[in-house]
Amino acid sequence: MSLTRSGEAAAFRVVDQLVGKEPWEVFGERIRRYEIHLSGGKVEMTRGPIAIEGYDIRVFRPTESGTGIGSYASTDFTPEGVKATVEVAERAAKYATFPSSRVELVSGHGATGGIVEVLDRGLWEYPMDSLDGYVSSLIQAFEGRKEFALSFGSVRATLVETSICNSAGLRTGYGHTTAELEVGVKAFGGPEGPAPAEYWVNESDRRIRPAELGIRVPEWCRYAEDVRRGRPPPTGEMPVVLPPPVLAGILPVVFGGRFTGPARMRGMAPKPGARLASELITVLDDGRVPWAPMSSPVDDEGIPQRRRTLLDRGVVSELLYDTLHAGAYDTKSTGNAFRGSSGGFRSWYRFLLPPTPSPSTISVAPGQGGTDTEIIEAAREGVFIQEIGWASPDPLTGAFGGEIRLGYHIRNGELAEPIRGGTVGGIALAPEGSPSLLTQLVAVGSRVGFAEPVSSPPLLVKSLPVGGER
Amino acid sequence: MGELSDAEGDLYHTVARLGQHSPFVEVLGEAISGLSSRTNGRSASFQTPAHIRGAVFRVWTGGGWTEVCVSGLDTPSLRYAEGALERVLAHRPAHEPPPGTPSTARIEKSTPTPRPITDMGEEEMQRLARDAFSWTTGVPDIQETEVQISWRLDERLYLNSAGARCLQSICRVRAQIAAVALENGRVGSDRVIHGAVGGREILNGVTPEKARKAAEMARALLRAKAPPSGRLTVLLSPSVTGYFAHESFGHGAEADQFVRNRSYLQPLLGKLVGPEILTIVDNGSYAGAWSEIYADDEGHPAQRTVLVDKGRFVGALHDRDTAAALGAEPTGNTRRSDVFSRAYVRMTNTYVEPGGSTFDELVKEARNGVLLESGTGGIEDPQGGQIQVKARMGHLIEDGKVTDLVSSMALSGRVLEFLASVRGVSGKEDFVLDSGSCGKGRTDFLPNSAGGPYLLASAVVGQA
Repeated sequence: MSLTRSGEAAAFRVVDQLVGKEPWEVFGERIRRYEIHLSGGKVEMTRGPIAIEGYDIRVFRPTESGTGIGSYASTDFTPEGVKATVEVAERAAKYATFPSSRVELVSGHGATGGIVEVLDRGLWEYPMDSLDGYVSSLIQAFEGRKEFALSFGSVRATLVETSICNSAGLRTGYGHTTAELEVGVKAFGGPEGPAPAEYWVNESDRRIRPAELGIRVPEWCRYAEDVRRGRPPPTGEMPVVLPPPVLAGILPVVFGGRFTGPARMRGMAPKPGARLASELITVLDDGRVPWAPMSSPVDDEGIPQRRRTLLDRGVVSELLYDTLHAGAYDTKSTGNAFRGSSGGFRSWYRFLLPPTPSPSTISVAPGQGGTDTEIIEAAREGVFIQEIGWASPDPLTGAFGGEIRLGYHIRNGELAEPIRGGTVGGIALAPEGSPSLLTQLVAVGSRVGFAEPVSSPPLLVKSLPVGGER
Repeated sequence: MGELSDAEGDLYHTVARLGQHSPFVEVLGEAISGLSSRTNGRSASFQTPAHIRGAVFRVWTGGGWTEVCVSGLDTPSLRYAEGALERVLAHRPAHEPPPGTPSTARIEKSTPTPRPITDMGEEEMQRLARDAFSWTTGVPDIQETEVQISWRLDERLYLNSAGARCLQSICRVRAQIAAVALENGRVGSDRVIHGAVGGREILNGVTPEKARKAAEMARALLRAKAPPSGRLTVLLSPSVTGYFAHESFGHGAEADQFVRNRSYLQPLLGKLVGPEILTIVDNGSYAGAWSEIYADDEGHPAQRTVLVDKGRFVGALHDRDTAAALGAEPTGNTRRSDVFSRAYVRMTNTYVEPGGSTFDELVKEARNGVLLESGTGGIEDPQGGQIQVKARMGHLIEDGKVTDLVSSMALSGRVLEFLASVRGVSGKEDFVLDSGSCGKGRTDFLPNSAGGPYLLASAVVGQA
């Protein structure tokens, strides 16, 4: 049933039919989404409203060895639909096993997450007008730039009312907005010069901010031109500077793979007190970064998000838990139960999948390395990686790497000619005593930048293997 | 296909009513069912695909295509979509029909299988998973074995105002056993995966022997060397060959990139781009393959499209719009991830056709280099003509022999340079099609398959 016809939040509409089924939890979403797709500098298609209203019911049943957990999601709010949903969840719980009998659902009093800025009022009230305005500004920003053009793109606005309730008395909810931008910026080649090339922009924000395009578009054009001029690097081990956009593709996956309750259950989580990184680095998980896509007042079990320390000057401090894994280790949930979250990126409709413990915004604390210029000076000779095609870290082994989409040589402590092609990679996070990207840090910058889902200064790594032509 | 059939009347009448205001209207309705299980010895979970029922309407307006999607196939939901589109059409009426020829196909087909799986419930799946879990016991250092079994029935009904009606029901079955070895904090992992369109018989593709082999490989990877870096002779295993085909002439030949003037391949259509031993195909009608479809999401029948024929780039993948813009015919490659996602030109099953060499001949021909095995992913740059392909592991090739195991690596380079370096393709005995997924940009993932035999070439590789 469409979201426009019912006033009550999605999760709360089904609770009456769950009496006698305790313990249970319902996660609901009422979603409106609008999209504008571009082909070149023209609108190719408009989409919206994409109207989805759905819920997921989880039930928890005692078993011989722990708890059977069953869940099932549906868009059917009729009494028959809810009944069928509960039946499927009960059947799954009958055969499922989780090795803990302690399931402490948060009560209503525990779910005061407070205010976190995650809702753009203008976007919420006027989504299509906001998108139209943004797209007009985007197209306008390329007018007069004869050497550059938009080659493709989309702008997508998602407006969600999330609601969560459970049999312990929790009834909470919040509204949030997300604006996603995906565009290709093309730099044209002259007849004698290198062929055309593109720089890809993939950004996600809680707000839509057309005013920023005045700064961002020239930056994107410069990157596109550098991709066009770039050449593969030399082969060898060399100092590497990694800014936030590159770290965003690496850190959430490796910390999610090793610093969570499931990793502990697999015997792969580090022990508190173990040194896994240089003392130069402190890494936090922060679910309350204003306007960050992973921020929210509460996690998807209704527990307030907080700031947690994962690595304190290189030493393991805390792991991240949901309610279930916290119960297995006689500890408290850290407010890190997220649905549809992978590597720090969230699906735009999340009620389909059960929650699992995963990081929120990975935040690297500013270090003593100085400005970005000073970090590059400290590298002396090496490479600065602006964008990796797909770093795709292995959450188990910590190995990461991929093609250099855009980078720069560092010569005599300054950025020099652009790099395009070749590979860079290594081990991001290794067991205590083994070398990794995080043990080989030479400097941590002092200026923090944000690239979803990471907030971090640039990191200077002493040496990483680079694969190139020569 | 009960629920879609039940809703067909309402969908049809909504299309008819909207057709009074627009020269072309289409709708795609979807209903998903299935079951998946995950067992690792400590915990077991079952997940039934959400009870998602929904529809996406696409109409041609004075401003181009507009879409509205709703969850629910009930009358109020469909009326909501209809009302939203009527408001758009009132403001932006279309006076001309959209470019291209609409489908008028009438197709009704379900996955044929002698052993249906759609009656497999939690209890039977649990029993199968427990059996599979035991297959890796006895291999030392294995910290964890995870067994995943799933089936998913995707039912889609396409109707348009030109009279097309395509009702299809596709059942995808997949099994995976992943083994993780742990020693002093070091981790090695490998897996065996088999997925295809069909029924219970698909599960036979994962055997105790393959599971044990994966466990032994996971253990061996604990001591694998780091791979070499730089420009090397590379021998791609069938799964890595598949990623090469998918990333190079799959994404590169999606004709929406031609229309956007962002494909380096477009000017090369009809020209030689590689050696005669190289033929690359996209085939949505490949019976039983993971990405088999009967009709695409614009109602065009699935088909086999040759992209590279004996080294010559001869074909591209089209939807209605790109075919109209480029004077071609739709190739049955218009696909949506689901009814909430937009349609794009997408691949189906994309592969390098078998050649005439044997694996041993290719290793000997390579002399020194690296064998890349177990592809894990890739990325393409349609504008710049670059690709990246990643492999979970590999072996060194030294003096014409396969020697030491090496850990994960990435291959990077320009497609045309890579093609020029292709020196050999092994035969049909090595041919494998995988069962993965693919996105368009960073989103819109859908089932996709890629494959081929062994392929010998040269490229830049590095640790990854």
